Amino acid sequence: MFIIPSDIWEDMIDHARGHAPRECCGMLAGTDNRVTRQYRITNILAKLNEAELARFDQPKLSDLKQLAPEERADIAFQMDARELSQAQKDIRQRGIELQAFYHSHTMSPARPSATDITLAMEFEHCRAALNLPQPLHVIVSLEDRDHPVMRAYRIEASRATEVPVRRQ
Amino acid sequence: MITIRIPTPLRSMTGGKSEIEGKGASIGELIEQMNADHPGLKDRLCDEQGEIRRFINVYLNEEDIRFLTGKDTPVKDGDEVSIVPAIAGGAHD
Ligand SMILES: [Zn+2]
Repeated sequence: MFIIPSDIWEDMIDHARGHAPRECCGMLAGTDNRVTRQYRITNILAKLNEAELARFDQPKLSDLKQLAPEERADIAFQMDARELSQAQKDIRQRGIELQAFYHSHTMSPARPSATDITLAMEFEHCRAALNLPQPLHVIVSLEDRDHPVMRAYRIEASRATEVPVRRQ
Repeated sequence: MITIRIPTPLRSMTGGKSEIEGKGASIGELIEQMNADHPGLKDRLCDEQGEIRRFINVYLNEEDIRFLTGKDTPVKDGDEVSIVPAIAGGAHD
């Protein structure tokens, strides 16, 4: 069970709504499966040039290239690397642990896409060397605008398994 | 020697290797030498201004070099450098 306090839960939904139709992204940290800290991270996808988009898988890449740069964040996200490290540093200094990455899906359900899984696995291959705990991947779906849905997943061996999440 | 960990998307440039060895007095020198051994690698890591691309983290023994002295950060024998693309994803089609 992964526990997200109500104020952070609400703020994640506000974050997602505030960026819709763009995807938002961020990080969650805490201890013992309970989140105590949330970090909003900038989705810099629109700032990536065509060569930099090459990190996305082929189907996603061709979709991205068909869109104007400012529209690309509607269907994907890329965290700002500096902000991510800044958050990691803050997490270390507070003596808490990185627990999850989160992002929004503004027009699709709260489950990881093929691209989400591929790119999470890339991180998974780097993570152990950095002594980071395995993060969950939380998705906030605004598919039904009036009823946002939040779900958490563990992604390993290219498979996503849902982890129950509770608002408390 | 300094060990450099290569993320999956860049392994096509290192002959599939997940770790390579390098030499240099700073991160900048290390990148130049990696690029000499694996042409094109620098372009993937650095932008037109020569700065580390904003979706890539370069860690020296777990610390992001952006919070050390960037490409001037000194490196020494036995150090470990990890190149980690920041997390990304995409919605369903
Ligand atoms: Zn996604």
